Amino acid sequence: MDLIAALRTDAAALLSDGRAKLVIGYRAAGEQLRPGVARPGRGEAGRAPAFVSDPARVDVLVYDASCRQNLASYLRKPEVRSRSPVAVVAPPPVMRSLVLLAAESQVTDATVVVLGVGEGVYHGVLDIAQTAALLRGKYADLAPSAEVVREIERIAAMTAEERAAFWTARFARCTRCYACRAACPLCYCTRCIVEKNVPQWISSAAAGHGNYAWNVIRAFHLAGRCTLCGACEAACPQGIPIMLLNVLAAEEAARDFDARPGYDPAEKPVIGSFKPDDNDDFVR
Amino acid sequence: MTEPERQLAEPVAAFEPRLVALVCTWCTYAGADLAGTSRLPYAPNVRIIQFPCTGRIDPLLVLKAFEGGADGVLVSGCHPGDCHYTSGNYHARRRWAIVRRLLEFTGIDSRRLYFSWVSAAEGRKFADLVNEITQEVRAAGPFEPANPARRRPWT
Repeated sequence: MDLIAALRTDAAALLSDGRAKLVIGYRAAGEQLRPGVARPGRGEAGRAPAFVSDPARVDVLVYDASCRQNLASYLRKPEVRSRSPVAVVAPPPVMRSLVLLAAESQVTDATVVVLGVGEGVYHGVLDIAQTAALLRGKYADLAPSAEVVREIERIAAMTAEERAAFWTARFARCTRCYACRAACPLCYCTRCIVEKNVPQWISSAAAGHGNYAWNVIRAFHLAGRCTLCGACEAACPQGIPIMLLNVLAAEEAARDFDARPGYDPAEKPVIGSFKPDDNDDFVR
Repeated sequence: MTEPERQLAEPVAAFEPRLVALVCTWCTYAGADLAGTSRLPYAPNVRIIQFPCTGRIDPLLVLKAFEGGADGVLVSGCHPGDCHYTSGNYHARRRWAIVRRLLEFTGIDSRRLYFSWVSAAEGRKFADLVNEITQEVRAAGPFEPANPARRRPWT
C-alpha cells in the first residue's frame, strides 16, 4: 500500500474507533472539505491544512515533499485542544516539534497521536515515545540546510557595520504581522511578551528598534528549542531570512550546551537548566 | 523637544561612551560600593543598575539599554558557586552565551557586550573592569545612530 493510502486508512481507523477526534493533515489547496464549499488554499504547490473529523472525508488527505507547514502549531488553539485526542500528520521536523512539546508538558499521549510520514515512507500511528525512538534511529542527523549555514558564515565574517546594514534592510521590511509566531508550534504563550504594554518591552510600531527587538527576542525564545522546520520563514510575507537567526541560535545551543531539541520527551529545557562547567570563555 | 531628544540633537565635542552596568545586588553592586568606599577612582561613564540577581537579567533589558542610548552593556554578578539564590548566575551565563551571539550577528559590535563576575570583596576588580571596558567602548566609538537596535526620536 502506498504512503497516502496507508495514511488515509489509519486516519479513518483512528477517527472511527475514537482514538482521535480530529485529524490534522495536508490537502491539495482548493479541495472541497464540504460539498459546495470551496476552500482556497495557499502555500507551496497549493498545499493547505485539512481538519478532518469525519472518517468518510479522509480522502482529502495527501502528503508529499511540498507539505512544509508545521501542523503542530494548531495544537495550542483552544478549539483544537477541546477535540483531543488530535492526530497530526508529521514529517520529521514536525515529529521533533511534537516531542519537544511533550518535553515542555504541552502535549501528552492522551492529547496527541502522531501519524509519522517521511520522504516516500509512512511510519504509521505513533505515540510520543515511539516518535522519539524513530527520530533517534532514523532521523538523528537532521541538519539545517547547507545554504543557510553558508549564509551565516558569510554574514559572521562581515564587520559589525556591515551586519547592522544587512539586518537594518531586512528588519525594515517587517510589518509585525506575527505570521512567524502563528506558524511556529513552539510559540504557544497565551500572552506574548510583544503584546505586553505595561511596561512595553518591545515597541509595537512596525519600524526601527521595535522590529529589531521583536526579531531578535523571538529567535532568543526559540534558542535550544527550534526544530528547524522552517515554517516561520515560509510564512513570512516579507521574505525576512528568519532561519538565519534560528539556525545561529540552534548552532550555539548545540555547541555549548549539547542541545538536541525534540529527540527526547524527558529532556530538560536548554535555557532554564545549566551545568556548573558551561562554556565561560566570554567572562571577564 | 524633550531632554533626551535635545541631547541627541546636540553635536558632541568629544565622544564619551555611555556604559550601562546591570549588576546583582549581592556581589557586584557590593563590589562597586566597596570601590566607592575605598575611594578608588574609576571612569564616570558607567551607569549602574541594581538587580536582585543576574538570573533576573532578561535580554530585553540589554536591548532597552541599547535602544535608550547605551554604547556598551556590562552584566556582572557573583562568581560561580557564590550566587545568593544558588544558581541564578549559572542561568545568566547560559543565556548570555546565546544573546551575545545573536546581538553580534545582528550588528552590535562585540566590543559593546561584556559579562563578568565581580564579588563583594573585589572593589579593585570592579574599578579596573570599568576602566578597561570604557577604553574599549571608546575605541569602538559611538553606537551607530543608524543601528536598528537604537531608538530614534520621532521626526
